[in-house]
Amino acid sequence: MQHNVKRVNISAELKKLKLEKDQLKIKRYQELTAKLFDLRDNNTYTQDAFNETTTLLLMNPEFYTVWNYRREILSNIYKPVGANVDDYAQVLNDELQLVLQQLKKFPKCYWIWNHRRWCLFELVALHRVNWMYEFAVVSKLLELDQRNFHGWQYRRFIVENIEKESVAKDPSHEKVILLKIKLDEFDYTTTKVQSDFSNFSAWHNRGNLIPKIYKLVHEIEVPAEFKERVKLFDNPYDILIHELDMIKTGIYMSPEDTSIWSYYNWLLTDDFFTKAYSKEEYLKVLHNQLEVISEVNELEKEDNGQDNIWCLKSIIFTKTLINKQQRGEVLTDEIKSYLKILIKIDPLRKGKYEDQLRGVVGIV
Amino acid sequence: MTDVTFVKDKHIQYVIEQDSHRSFEYWLSEHLRMNGLYWGITTLATINSLDALPKAEVIDFILSCWDDKSGGFGSFPKHDSHILSTLSALQVLRIYDNELTMISSEKRTKLVKFIKELQLPDGSFQGDRFGEVDTRFVYTAISALSLLDELTKEIADPAVDFIMKCRNFDGSFGMVPGAESHAAQVFVCVGTLAITDNLHLINQDIKLASWLSERQVLPSGGFNGRPEKLPDVCYSWWVLSSLAILNKKHWVDLEKLEGFILSAQDLKEGGISDRPDNATDIYHTCFGITGLSLIDWKKYNFKEIDPIYCMPVEVTKNFKKWKNLSS
Repeated sequence: MQHNVKRVNISAELKKLKLEKDQLKIKRYQELTAKLFDLRDNNTYTQDAFNETTTLLLMNPEFYTVWNYRREILSNIYKPVGANVDDYAQVLNDELQLVLQQLKKFPKCYWIWNHRRWCLFELVALHRVNWMYEFAVVSKLLELDQRNFHGWQYRRFIVENIEKESVAKDPSHEKVILLKIKLDEFDYTTTKVQSDFSNFSAWHNRGNLIPKIYKLVHEIEVPAEFKERVKLFDNPYDILIHELDMIKTGIYMSPEDTSIWSYYNWLLTDDFFTKAYSKEEYLKVLHNQLEVISEVNELEKEDNGQDNIWCLKSIIFTKTLINKQQRGEVLTDEIKSYLKILIKIDPLRKGKYEDQLRGVVGIV
Repeated sequence: MTDVTFVKDKHIQYVIEQDSHRSFEYWLSEHLRMNGLYWGITTLATINSLDALPKAEVIDFILSCWDDKSGGFGSFPKHDSHILSTLSALQVLRIYDNELTMISSEKRTKLVKFIKELQLPDGSFQGDRFGEVDTRFVYTAISALSLLDELTKEIADPAVDFIMKCRNFDGSFGMVPGAESHAAQVFVCVGTLAITDNLHLINQDIKLASWLSERQVLPSGGFNGRPEKLPDVCYSWWVLSSLAILNKKHWVDLEKLEGFILSAQDLKEGGISDRPDNATDIYHTCFGITGLSLIDWKKYNFKEIDPIYCMPVEVTKNFKKWKNLSS
């Protein structure tokens, strides 16, 4: 699978030349592969075989069967009863270093991430794992690529394990510990979205953290040191207002940004929020939002001579929520007229708006 | 209308030559060879050119990748079994032979055992015995069992529970519970729900279909995989197949998407790339062409592709899926 690699049409002659040049590399690669398969067939679990897997995996980090063999060698040399725990821990930590170097070069290779996880759980079994070090590693990797799918998943995985470990050490303070860790993660998403509103990976994590933090705050006596930080989580209404205020800047700056709107939709429709306050409060929020978005849309109209697609979609969305609250008709003439405009200015999704106009599907 | 033509013959040649350009990079991709074979064969089957590769050789190759120790297929001879290569192998074999006569009943028993044993207590599947969990493997396992006509409720129900735990507030799906939504993960999750007759679980609102339709971006008309990312030809498949399963293909501009796929062809050498003027590969070639089949298979004189299995409908229509129906 090639991604982001420019196409170069090379001549048949150059291709032949490359192939000739490749021959030595291919021969070495194939010999090493054959040798390792032979060693494995003979159940060879030695340091030499281990070193050969290193050589091959440096050439090809995607070679999952060789990663498998490597793990078998490690297990066979270092796991038998009586083997030295320190030695194995050292080897596993060396392994993490090797894997990190490879991850920097191949941040999207599943097999490398997989091997790292395996090593960590081996270290867990030895009571030698350093999750905080892993945390630092993944933070660094996410700085290099803000949206790396694997990176974010790995961060959640590490945090989960830090939580488990911290709670195991001090089970009587479970919820305080979890609260602190989740608040730190929440702050991390604040930093990430403030530096780039388009970072949906951060919005996603933020949305998942909010209900969890809220629940914890209301289950325990919050220690004085966190009082200031948890103020925001007093009730879902305060959180809602805070979050809406936060995305407001983003809406003004770049109303085309789909990340913000996705988060906006969640804030205004999830049970966590909508069930926590009165209908009057909800309607007030919706009307306020409608005002903000309409204003941005007017500004856009002045600049571009037409409605902004995302503003209009969100006006429809917000108005429909209002209509639903007031138990009025949803597909009003006003909504219909907006849908007709969307058909013109967002023709890619014409079919959806037509379905909505005909009442075949809902509006939100 | 788009003004780029579909260079069918070049693509056929491109697929055939995959195996002859044995540069260093070719050897480095042994771990993907079975998937590559599936992509190549699906490409050819879709454009009605399955005969371009020698059937007997292809089947021999696949059988040579059988890993008797664990009871699945590896990606290359002597490589370990993995659920990904196992599904690819079964897909190609069933494209060639609806009865799967080349798989002995002994192998078949081992296969079913191998797949079932990858399921974990929470309903998810690991890719092999080393523990990586991903909704991709749930789909792969469920799809493989269903094309062996060996699916059971005992397997499907917990798998579906797991899939639903991977649904996010934007209506879409990620690789594990809590992971960010991603279009390729949507395909595997929606595909699993479709195979197991559970689409009603996601059909209550328009969130998912809306999210999918928002993947189409301008000016290219191609699809991206997540918000605020670049378009890529492979999402033509992941997104459009999901929309097709949800009966919402008309929620995107098919003509624009068609133009984007065609513009990513290498008109001289054949093959399709992630974006116009990038290097081609068999993966993007397959998902570009199966995407075109979803858009308008009749126009191109292609075979109709099944959005759930990414195999020709003429093959999948024979699937009995459930074990109790096949006996």
